[in-house]
Amino acid sequence: MPHPTVLRYLIPDRTMIPLIKHLRPRDLRFSGLVVVTLLTIGLYLNTGLRLAGQSGSGWRTLDLDALQQRVETGELLDREADWYHPATEEETLGLGERP
Amino acid sequence: MSAVTCELCPRGCVIPEGGAGDCRIRVNLGGKLRATTYGRPSAIHIDPMEKKPLYHFHPGAPVFSIATAGCNLHCLNCQNWQLSQRGGEEMEQVYRADPPDLLKAAKKEGCKAIAYTYSDPIVFYEYVYDSGELAHREGLTNVFITAGYINRKPLRLLCNVLDAANVDLKAFDDGFYRRVTSATLQPVLDALVTMREEGVWIEVTNLLIPTLNDDLAMIRSMARWIRDELGEGTPLHFSRFHPQYRMRNLPPTPGRTLDRARKEAMDAGLQYVYVGNVMGHKGGSTYCPTDGTLLIGRAGFWITENNLTADDRCPTCNEKIPGVWQ
Repeated sequence: MPHPTVLRYLIPDRTMIPLIKHLRPRDLRFSGLVVVTLLTIGLYLNTGLRLAGQSGSGWRTLDLDALQQRVETGELLDREADWYHPATEEETLGLGERP
Repeated sequence: MSAVTCELCPRGCVIPEGGAGDCRIRVNLGGKLRATTYGRPSAIHIDPMEKKPLYHFHPGAPVFSIATAGCNLHCLNCQNWQLSQRGGEEMEQVYRADPPDLLKAAKKEGCKAIAYTYSDPIVFYEYVYDSGELAHREGLTNVFITAGYINRKPLRLLCNVLDAANVDLKAFDDGFYRRVTSATLQPVLDALVTMREEGVWIEVTNLLIPTLNDDLAMIRSMARWIRDELGEGTPLHFSRFHPQYRMRNLPPTPGRTLDRARKEAMDAGLQYVYVGNVMGHKGGSTYCPTDGTLLIGRAGFWITENNLTADDRCPTCNEKIPGVWQ
């Protein structure tokens, strides 16, 4: 037998009963909306975390004109880097446009 | 679209033409990846070796320290964010210092070592490699101050030119890495092991941030891992956090936290555990692990006394002290 304090939380409080009795369809619709909203937020956050954890997901836009200008004046270099390969078709999947 | 995939760090950025990697400085121009800051550092200073911090590697030596823009981590508490979180084209100050010029300048200033530091030198890999090779030919040493977020293959090759490294192990918790640095833990641990295998002298730094990575159980696990994988003689530096950049909501690390962390790591079996960023702290000096003799006294970055014998031993008990001292 659960402890009386635990029971108090398991059994709806007397003041709750009239509220439950008077549940209207619009209240159910509102509750449904709350549940859907929470699920959407959860899904959005989860997708973000998954994308962030994926390798190959990171690249940035840059001010190409400023870069070219600095390369032309010799302030930056156009030296080929080591450690890269042309991206395979599979790797470029999901390579979206960046704002 | 001629995209390229960068193989340097675990991010493995797939970069379309005209785009940059997550580090901002490796750029795809015309279907080829370019190291745009090669030979173009934005920070040049002469620091004491202790500032890196490297306490068991040529103590007191002046080090010619350089960094270019860019970083492959994005720590919320970054202390060099004006440098690390920008691309080369955004920098006001860019010096022209190709590897031969760099060596010439370092020698002129009387430095016997070059430090690749401030931002993460992983992202200007080619510049480090070429300068490092030249430095070795000229009799200088190379020290690498890094967060260690690099793939094993490029690191193994780079180790040919590295003599010492201080690796910032930011926490012993992958969740912390993801939330605070945008990186992950395992590649950093792999990098530490690779450096040890390749014979690079390693010291580890751990910046203690109140409530985020100052849990004693986590510190104990980290210290045990360092003891087992890198050796009990590996110096560990606990560094004091100061609020900055995007983490101004937390206070500086209390002295007590640093003391507790130091004790915990020493209890776990590490022999050389230091406290950094605290002026005049006892934990800034080197003591013999056998009899407690003061071997190297330090005040901040400055050496106040050096009692090591000529063959790098404790003058009292003759214990050999690990490090690269001469």
